[in-house]
Amino acid sequence: MDSNIDFKNIWQQQNISQPNIEEILNKLKEYKNSSLRKLIIANILLITTSGFIIFIWYYYQPQFISTKVGIVLIIFAMVVYLFIYNKQFSIFKKIDNTLTISKYLQNLSALKRKQKFMQTTMIRVYFIMLSTGLGLYMYEYASRMTPLWAILAYAITFIWIGFNWFYITPATIKTQQLKLNEIIYKFKTINEQLEEKSNK
Amino acid sequence: MQKMLFEDIYKTYWQKVFRICMGYVNDSNWAKDIAQDTFITVLQKLDTFRNEAQIGTWIFRIAVNNCLRQIEKTNRLPKTALTDNFVEPESINLEEKVILLYRFITELKEIDRIIISLELEDVKQAEIANIIGISEANVRVKIHRIKEILTLKFKENG
Repeated sequence: MDSNIDFKNIWQQQNISQPNIEEILNKLKEYKNSSLRKLIIANILLITTSGFIIFIWYYYQPQFISTKVGIVLIIFAMVVYLFIYNKQFSIFKKIDNTLTISKYLQNLSALKRKQKFMQTTMIRVYFIMLSTGLGLYMYEYASRMTPLWAILAYAITFIWIGFNWFYITPATIKTQQLKLNEIIYKFKTINEQLEEKSNK
Repeated sequence: MQKMLFEDIYKTYWQKVFRICMGYVNDSNWAKDIAQDTFITVLQKLDTFRNEAQIGTWIFRIAVNNCLRQIEKTNRLPKTALTDNFVEPESINLEEKVILLYRFITELKEIDRIIISLELEDVKQAEIANIIGISEANVRVKIHRIKEILTLKFKENG
């Protein structure tokens, strides 16, 4: 087959005006700011909540051991959450995109698997700790209420937790998993393209 | 000092990087985004660049890795099928050929898109092998095969 088409010539006709260099520099600044902002907000939110809980402990001096265990569990759950969140955040920064494609793909796939683990297992761990902690924490105060109010307080709390556990969390996990699986699969097929020897 | 260097790099490589991204996604806004991201990485990592590779190879690696990374943005699918704009055999001018070429390239498999884009950008085959991480012989055969496919597609479209 003759291939006299001058692909290079055609290819190089495609041009686009070069954006001003300032545009790149601004974009870089924006990147840094927006990602930093998200990180700071998440951290501040959870740290103040934990601070508040510790303040309650200190100020109200709970008598029951269950309250204290509950507080510790809630704080621990938040630490776990922060850890996951911060880790997810930094994980992408670590990936080196100056490597060869094949190495880069390997790293990306490994990363996605890690992400999958964090999103499923760790979120569940977080949730179990948070709900148990909350249940224990409430006990001391509920025991001082009339039985009806105590039951109501527990019922509302556990309906809310149940709603999260059975509805929101699985739905979030499912969509994220679907997306991650799709990406992992796609990386796999591209990797296969690299391995396929020219079948000629 | 480093900003000066970056400006030179930016001037020299912008069109090349843009075309490579364009070959991958065939959507100029999208390609521009990827190209800009590439230069952001270049700017961020320039001081980690050791001369073990040519600067071009290094930049192209970042560019093609960024292209591959687009898979995560599943809501943004490459525009491939624009089948309704059939072109009359005689009337194909250069501009239309450009459109066709980029469209045909985007229809290839991901790695093939990258290989042919680099080849058409006059990157040496040894360098392409180095960017992708396969053997030079493999690159050569792949390029040959891709050019055959492209020629065939051009013939089919007049």
